[in-house]
Amino acid sequence: MGKVLITGISSPLGRLLARRLASGWQVCGVDSRSWQGRPREIAMHVADLRKRELEDVMRAEHPQAVVHLGVRREMRGDARNRHDLNVRGTKRLLDHCAAFGVKQLVVVSTGTAYGAAPENPLYMSEDEPLSASRSYPEIRDRVEVDALASAFVWRVPEVRTAVLRPVHVLGPHSTGMLADYLRRLRPPIVLGFDPLIQVMHEDDWAESIALSLTRELAGVFNVVGPGQVPLRTAISELRRIPLALPEFIMRPWIRTSFAAGLVPWPEGAIDYLKFPVTISGERFQHETGWKPLFGLREIFAAHRERRSES
Amino acid sequence: MSEAEHAHPGAFARLVETLTRTLPDSVRELDALVTERLARVPTRLNEYGVDRFGLEPAQAHRGLLPSALLYRHYFRVVTHGIERVPEGRVLLIANHAGQLPFDAAMLGAAMLLEAEPPRLARGLGEYWIPRLPFINELMTRGGGLVGTPENFRALIDAEECVMVFPEGVRGMNKTYRERYRLQRFGTGFVRLALETHTPIVPVGIVGSEEQQPGLWDVKPLARLLGMPAFPITPTFPLLGPLGLLPLPVKYRIHFGVPIRFEGSANEDDAAIQARVAAVKIAIDKLLEAGRRERKNPFL
Repeated sequence: MGKVLITGISSPLGRLLARRLASGWQVCGVDSRSWQGRPREIAMHVADLRKRELEDVMRAEHPQAVVHLGVRREMRGDARNRHDLNVRGTKRLLDHCAAFGVKQLVVVSTGTAYGAAPENPLYMSEDEPLSASRSYPEIRDRVEVDALASAFVWRVPEVRTAVLRPVHVLGPHSTGMLADYLRRLRPPIVLGFDPLIQVMHEDDWAESIALSLTRELAGVFNVVGPGQVPLRTAISELRRIPLALPEFIMRPWIRTSFAAGLVPWPEGAIDYLKFPVTISGERFQHETGWKPLFGLREIFAAHRERRSES
Repeated sequence: MSEAEHAHPGAFARLVETLTRTLPDSVRELDALVTERLARVPTRLNEYGVDRFGLEPAQAHRGLLPSALLYRHYFRVVTHGIERVPEGRVLLIANHAGQLPFDAAMLGAAMLLEAEPPRLARGLGEYWIPRLPFINELMTRGGGLVGTPENFRALIDAEECVMVFPEGVRGMNKTYRERYRLQRFGTGFVRLALETHTPIVPVGIVGSEEQQPGLWDVKPLARLLGMPAFPITPTFPLLGPLGLLPLPVKYRIHFGVPIRFEGSANEDDAAIQARVAAVKIAIDKLLEAGRRERKNPFL
């Protein structure tokens, strides 16, 4: 097979994906941080997606396929810089994919972009609007990245582009919103609410990306794992005791702690502890015949162990 | 399922559980009955005892036991014609009254305790219900969902029994003067029934209309508090939360003959309204029959 470029390769999940793809592809990556001790066959460039450096990498590596993981998820810190990095960085990358004749592109978005709202139907399809930013302005850049990529699917059909919106990814290397939340000693919950959540194993997540590459998938796809559980069940599976707070205490507490940098989630994230965001993975399953390998119990067991990356 | 029972239950569920343990034998019998009937409801659960729609029989049980107690000992519910409810997909359409949705709870309890085989009547709630702490949990773990067309289709595709109160809060929070006068029905249920070929069973619930006589609905106050209505009753808000207790009226639930509409879901509104009117008339007749057979609301 050909050469694949992974953006955000130095993140824990980026490394996981690089290792998974290395069996069938020649893997190279870009990231703003370097990856010390990476396998010898994996090439890596330290570069900012917004800068000229990325163009040089594309020219030097000339990949047939690109997997875009390189968005900053951390909500603390300069919001403007994050927005610029994620949105303009993605735009640059898309332009380069078109200019350098990339055949296959996989943009990894997120299922949380649909937003947590009381009127959400269960198991939303890809046609539902992405309304997360209505009550959660900090996630706006992720929604815009998704919109840019989704438009690119139709705008530049020469690059076969798959936009994946996976559910929460759990496992020893995972660092998403829910993954970190479930590792806290006392995950806070809103008293009187217990939404359904969907989870998938990180190896399944990597597998779904690999499958999208080999099947040369184009379009927008939800990717779901084996099923759903109430949030509190997930917390007890992680052997944690939730800290139940009434909403009128939770809101000001999260607001001030986020401003002080004590918690990683802004106030808008509270809605995800109240309302379900469940999505249907039927389209992806239909197109690729994909089935997750890990069951719910295995996912939670895997998430209980934390492996430090070499 | 036993594992899911040991998962952290909500504060409300814990309270119910504690109360259950201290209650006498008759209650324990009812408890066993609810367990037995719940086990016979056809549902597909995952390894954590949760179905696709968020129903958790272990938790639903905690909500259904108080329901069953009210059903047997407080509202002393009698049903007529429950055998008319067909197997498989079905839509129960009922009148809505009484300030708090005890009528939905009693209809649900009737389907569980009296229908053969036991069914779980899935409630489709208004969009604001998921915003209410505890209530939203009771709703989803008990098998209810937000009333979006997508959710309706998903439930009907799974051959479930869905109950809908097309009057919504217009019916529930109407004043005592308006009792047994059906308010304007939404029309969505007829279009969805046509689209999904679902039989409609009209249901007349007698009793709920007197359980909490509403004297006045203070709309500006409701708007201020972000509530759908702010009813003044003889006991509420005079007695505080205690004033929310319904009067011990006797419930009579009359099930009508299933109505099977033919046609397209995209017909114009007049054609749909005619079918809605037919359902309303059927419910009116059931309500009349129910009121004729009783001497007063309490016996």
